[in-house]
Amino acid sequence: MLQVGEAGTWRLWLAYVRRTPLLLFLLAYTALTALPFLWVASMSLRTTSEIFANPYGVPTHPHWSNFADAWFGSNYSTYFWNSAIAVIGAVIGVTIIGAMAAHGLARYHFRSKRLFRFIILSGLVLPPQMLILSLYQILLDYQLYDTLTGLAIVYVATQLGMTVYLLEGFFAQIPQDLFDAARMDGYSDFEIFWRITLPIGTPAIFTTVILNFVILWNEFLYAVVLMTSDENRTLPLGIMHFMGDHQLDVAMIATGLMIAIVPVALIYALFSDTMIRGMTAGAVR
Amino acid sequence: MAVVAIDGLSKQYDGSSDFAVRSVSLTVADGEFMVLLGPSGCGKSSVLRMIAGLEPITAGTVSIDGRVMNRVPAKDRDIAMVFQSYALYPHMSVRDNLAFGLRRRSVPADEIARRVQGVADRLRLAPLLGRKPHALSGGQRQRVALGRAIVRQPKVFLFDEPLSNLDAALRVGTRAEISRQQREIGTTSIYVTHDQAEALTLGHRICIMNAGEVEQIGAPMEVYRNPATAFVARFLGSPPMNLLPAIMEPAGDHVRVRLADVTFELPNWPLAAARSHLNQQVMFGIRPEDLYEEPITPMPRLRVQVRAIEPLGAETILLLSAGGQNHELAARVGRETSFRIGESRDIGFDVAAVHLFAAATGKAIARPTA
Amino acid sequence: MPRPAARARQSSVDVWRPSRATLALFLGPAVLVFVGFTAYPVLRTFYNSLYLVGPQGAAEFVGLQNFSKALTSDAVFWTALRNTAIFTLVATPLDVFGGLLLALCLYAGVPFARSLRVVWFLPVLMSNVVVGIIWVWIYDYDWGALNMLLRAIGLAALEHSWIGDPATALWAVMAAHLWKWLGFNMIVFLAALHALPADVLGAAELDNCGWFAKTVHIIIPMLRPTLVNLLVLSFIGKMMIFDLVWIMTEGGPLWSTETVSTYVYKRAFDWNTFDLGYPSAIAVLWFVTIIAFVVGISWLFRQRDRLEF
Repeated sequence: MLQVGEAGTWRLWLAYVRRTPLLLFLLAYTALTALPFLWVASMSLRTTSEIFANPYGVPTHPHWSNFADAWFGSNYSTYFWNSAIAVIGAVIGVTIIGAMAAHGLARYHFRSKRLFRFIILSGLVLPPQMLILSLYQILLDYQLYDTLTGLAIVYVATQLGMTVYLLEGFFAQIPQDLFDAARMDGYSDFEIFWRITLPIGTPAIFTTVILNFVILWNEFLYAVVLMTSDENRTLPLGIMHFMGDHQLDVAMIATGLMIAIVPVALIYALFSDTMIRGMTAGAVR
Repeated sequence: MAVVAIDGLSKQYDGSSDFAVRSVSLTVADGEFMVLLGPSGCGKSSVLRMIAGLEPITAGTVSIDGRVMNRVPAKDRDIAMVFQSYALYPHMSVRDNLAFGLRRRSVPADEIARRVQGVADRLRLAPLLGRKPHALSGGQRQRVALGRAIVRQPKVFLFDEPLSNLDAALRVGTRAEISRQQREIGTTSIYVTHDQAEALTLGHRICIMNAGEVEQIGAPMEVYRNPATAFVARFLGSPPMNLLPAIMEPAGDHVRVRLADVTFELPNWPLAAARSHLNQQVMFGIRPEDLYEEPITPMPRLRVQVRAIEPLGAETILLLSAGGQNHELAARVGRETSFRIGESRDIGFDVAAVHLFAAATGKAIARPTA
Repeated sequence: MPRPAARARQSSVDVWRPSRATLALFLGPAVLVFVGFTAYPVLRTFYNSLYLVGPQGAAEFVGLQNFSKALTSDAVFWTALRNTAIFTLVATPLDVFGGLLLALCLYAGVPFARSLRVVWFLPVLMSNVVVGIIWVWIYDYDWGALNMLLRAIGLAALEHSWIGDPATALWAVMAAHLWKWLGFNMIVFLAALHALPADVLGAAELDNCGWFAKTVHIIIPMLRPTLVNLLVLSFIGKMMIFDLVWIMTEGGPLWSTETVSTYVYKRAFDWNTFDLGYPSAIAVLWFVTIIAFVVGISWLFRQRDRLEF
């Protein structure tokens, strides 16, 4: 949309200059977005007294030991592993179950298909409040309350709708010819799923894995309702709890935040395109 | 009505050191229908878009009626364009699509209504005025796109391969429609296509482009009969002109051409032009329709092997090879042929219809006029 | 390893009409999970709403009493409702149209668009815990960035206890929420803008459209489906908001940031009496409200015909 008359650096430069207010505005927005994170990162490497003396300064000598303290001293390591177990378990579960369901919906025609689709996708617009109270009761009844297993199963249920939605859209685009050829070669239904849908659908499956991981890693509400004991808390809960107990130990809280941020930031750094595309895919029409 | 002149127009895309368009110059007279013809990627669409103002110009000028348009934004050039993809506004009705440009130019409402109705009648769009583009067929959409250009009454019409997305039957009908409209309205038009049939039937003049450069400009029949380069010779005509390697030799006061296993004389060829190519490699060109299975008059013959026969009903295409499979030829003969596949036969060619091109440059060597 | 062709025909006449066993294999687990952990809980919530529910399960049938109590005699519920309504009705347009504006600015050809995009999406990916705590710190009276900034530019008079003051708390939380989500809408719109057919925009330019006219008459109407999608998504998300509010203010101070979802939680787990029935009723009420609004919005902005291009 950049209408440039004749080429030549002078004209190009002029065009940029015209856009300066826009540029400044966008740079300001970028700063507003990025600075808070940089601030937390820098705080995580300072001591609380340093922070109170000069809240926005840069760490003079970075206290990497903060992380060790948080990990071994406070319970952050426990929280981290709890999150890891619940989230990874849930992601594995929802990927397998979701991929199979998506394959079934994409490939087969059957009478109640619309019903199934409606059912599985209705989970996308269901307010959590409709579920948390009953789930609390259900998990209690089955002794799954305050267990990572219970939480993981609930997570599978919450992410199933989105996973099936994304994967079905992708699987449906795999050319039918491939499946017809496999049929004629005598493959069974499951083999077709295993040998064709999964390998070809790997990029989409990968996208849902990453998305589910990030969403569940950050998940708060279900965790708050369904977990109580300190040993079983997931990371977001752990940080909140810590904040509640040690409100003034800003440095330690910041360190905890960084522990929560780093896995997500890493995945994002590696796969930003995939993630952005995946998360915005459903909304663009 | 306007004269469009482009002078030394060049285009280099960002990040590429190649020129998509290389110093193209041509002038389109008032009311003329100029066709830019060439294969995909030859730069013809880039030229068109630069004339429209949709693409920045790297070098050279675009002028309309003598006024240089390089710095003038697209909306002020008084140009209308018909796009390959129709580019109709999907959220507006046909009527609004037609009226939009006029409204944007503050044309009074009654004038808009008059013009829209006029165009709708002219292009038989009246029953479709209330519909949205998605409810129209491809041919109808193209007529709306055409109408949108006509209703603006601009100085210049630009067409960017408007028939490419239509199926074959529709293409012929719409082609005739465009031609008729242009003749009636008389606006200067520039039309881009890769289809030589469109170019030959629609254009007052054709400009053939290849790899960003102009190969030849001229009236359709002129370009067909006297191609300036081997590229033009092969681009026009279906099947294309046959080209075989040959050597040109002096023969007294005229020249002689040695071709595969046959040598023939070219009387009347201007010696001056031929002199610089004596004893050198040339390309011998003869159109398929100038090859004769059973020549009536005496003419040189070429020994060929018959590779395939394609009976098309009204005529037959023979696919031949000369010089022991190295060189392929096509010939156009009558409804039936005595040739059979696998045979080795002689085929005659009319010396008056021979074209010669320099092997190195591809440029035509001057022939006797008339 | 391929099996003999005869086996492939084991299902039925139409090869793609699957057997019961196949369906069960592929869809079964998903259906089980759905029924057990989504459908059943929802039904049970409806059921609970008609009872007083103690620790032992449904205790006493009270019919619609929970509903009437919520609607007539619960001031906190109405406060929560009001807060949530204000939050949703203000934040949704800000969120979506703000994102649209940013995307249009970017689309106008600012350089580095691709790299900046990565930064803007970052808050979207962060846990609400991270976002909440950062903003609690930003809003801190003594050393928070906001007040310090105001002091630095001489507007010390405006400094505030942003989340401590009932008058400003809701807006403070809203600002944090928008900070997190603006990038999402922006990026969705950016993708939609790039998907617009270039020829149509070219035709608009030839039809005497400057950038403003082109945006208003062509671009925005063609973005309408995306716009409606995002409005609905945003609306639903804000109606259900819990995490950020809970982390920043827990619904305080003085109920000024109490939302329906925080109230449901408090009523269930943080109240002097243990009863799951009443909060279930509130949840049901809210669910019905959300659906009504979604249907209403979709109908209001419905495309009268398809916008194909």
